Amino acid sequence: MEPLTLDLREELRRGGEPLPRILQAVDQLAPEQSLRLLTTFEPLPLYAVLGRKGFGHDAVRHGDGDWEIRFQPGTNTAPARTAVTPATRPTSADEWPTPSVFLDNRGLQPPEPMVRILDAFEHLGAGAVLEAVNERDPVFLYPELQARGAAIHTEKVQGGVRLLIRRAG
Amino acid sequence: MITNRLSRWTPHFFASALVNFIGAEMLMLAGVTWPAHALGAAGTLITIHLLVIGWLLLLVLGALFQFVPVMTTLPLASQTAALACLVAVEGGLLGMIAGFLGVAGGTPRLAWLLPAGGGAVTIGIAIALWNVGVPLARARPSSLPGRMVMTGIAFLVATVTLGLLFAAVLSAPAAMPRLTPILAGVGEHALSGLGGWFTLTAMGVSYKLLPMFMLAPEERGALGRGVHLVGAMGFALAVVAGLAAIWRPIAIVIDIQRIGDVAIGLAVALYLWDVRRIYRERRRTAIELHNRAAIGAFAFLGVALASAAIAAAAHRLGAIAPALAFLIVFGWLGGLGITQLYKIVPFLAWLVRYGGRLGRGPVPRVQDLVRDRAALPWFIVYGAGVSIATVAALMRWPTAFRIGVAPIAVATIGLAVEYWRAWHATYADASRPVKPVPPAMPAPPASRETSLLINRGDRPRWNP
Repeated sequence: MEPLTLDLREELRRGGEPLPRILQAVDQLAPEQSLRLLTTFEPLPLYAVLGRKGFGHDAVRHGDGDWEIRFQPGTNTAPARTAVTPATRPTSADEWPTPSVFLDNRGLQPPEPMVRILDAFEHLGAGAVLEAVNERDPVFLYPELQARGAAIHTEKVQGGVRLLIRRAG
Repeated sequence: MITNRLSRWTPHFFASALVNFIGAEMLMLAGVTWPAHALGAAGTLITIHLLVIGWLLLLVLGALFQFVPVMTTLPLASQTAALACLVAVEGGLLGMIAGFLGVAGGTPRLAWLLPAGGGAVTIGIAIALWNVGVPLARARPSSLPGRMVMTGIAFLVATVTLGLLFAAVLSAPAAMPRLTPILAGVGEHALSGLGGWFTLTAMGVSYKLLPMFMLAPEERGALGRGVHLVGAMGFALAVVAGLAAIWRPIAIVIDIQRIGDVAIGLAVALYLWDVRRIYRERRRTAIELHNRAAIGAFAFLGVALASAAIAAAAHRLGAIAPALAFLIVFGWLGGLGITQLYKIVPFLAWLVRYGGRLGRGPVPRVQDLVRDRAALPWFIVYGAGVSIATVAALMRWPTAFRIGVAPIAVATIGLAVEYWRAWHATYADASRPVKPVPPAMPAPPASRETSLLINRGDRPRWNP
């Protein structure tokens, strides 16, 4: 079956937020039909969102810097979560609420990722979860988060580290 | 358990190292010694030990205490051990200096300070090796910078062992008559220390630091592994065969020594090529001052490599060795040290001062802690001084050498003042109120599947 294609590049360049369109398209998919997205950057947070709906993904970066991502229904085998940094206490991030903030910190110079994460963390509601993708394991961030009573879960992903940070509450 | 990854005593290592460096520069400026001076003279011995133990060793150990936890994401074995190491090395160094002065000044009763000071330095190094060795050995998977530092440490052990053998032979020559010729191995001692230990370690640390602040790929691939393996093999062959040749100067030993020398040259050339690649592959268009100035240090390493190759081809390596050693200590290792300190000091100061306030109110940026306008002239003056002094050492012209050391000393003091200002956030305090942080982002609706922030770089976007 032909995949359903959604070209989001124009909208993204205008600064639009295409998530509602994506979710609408997902609802319209026929069984076994895959979704093909054309974007101007790799939409990492989307992997988690559609992953929970059972979609696996393949991402290809084209020569012009644009991305093509194909979401295949029923192919998401949940990635093994291996903690690369021990958290303050044993945390099972599987039971945490869906992250409400996503930060893509790749391409930022240290300590900018740490500044952004702590800034976003301080604006989180009690018990809310923040998700971030960093190029490097932010070793100086952990003591700060620990001092602020956060629970942290990290896992290595391609091209960096994925962090789930939950505010106490 | 997540522990604080800041190395508490690293700033003290840096401060002590700079004081020792300036002290050595003052001795050279006063004409106490210069690179063509007799190695055994007290002034020369004091200056050399101030430079390699007081300046370079304390600088590198202080940096490793901070960067090994960053490289391995594992804590040091102990923070207190770092302080013990500093006290032992600096105290031991002062003892050695007093010992050299005592022996030279006809006060033989002070001679005991030499082995005692050397012993204290050795204990300090042993503490440091344990302290960084534990996280390095435990790190999985090991990284190229980590492996290069481990190799460097092996050469540090070899260097210290050779130094202790020298001390033993000198203090009791009759006890070990068959070992006495080892005193001819001063060149191998220097090669193991300046090359195997300091250079391989500096290369390893630079492989972490350069990509981090220029946003270049950290994975160095086959080229990086080649630098490590060829370099380690080269220094090992050159040092071991060089020592063996003292007793058995037969053709095969000399040939192995030459293979080692060629491998060292190849590793340095590969490294410089790879550094060029890091600069070219960077994603940050503007290069920060510390890495712009570091290009000078890499250039000095390149000049050292080229002159060593030319001199070796002309069989005159021995003649340029003192000038070469000066260029490597001041141009390459010292140059890399003073330029990277210009980033490390404000970075650490910023973490210590503002880490706890992040996200809770306005804080200065790391770059607000330094003033490039004030530091840039010092880097230029330092480089000019190193160039003048190296040429003067090559021409065996002591007066011109001192003329070159003067700007080096002035620039080192000028930069030390800039580090001091960064550490005390003088510039950031002076420019208050600090640049306000962007307005607080609205708290996102919690646990709504549809709330998605696709956030790239500096373009945060919230969906309605």
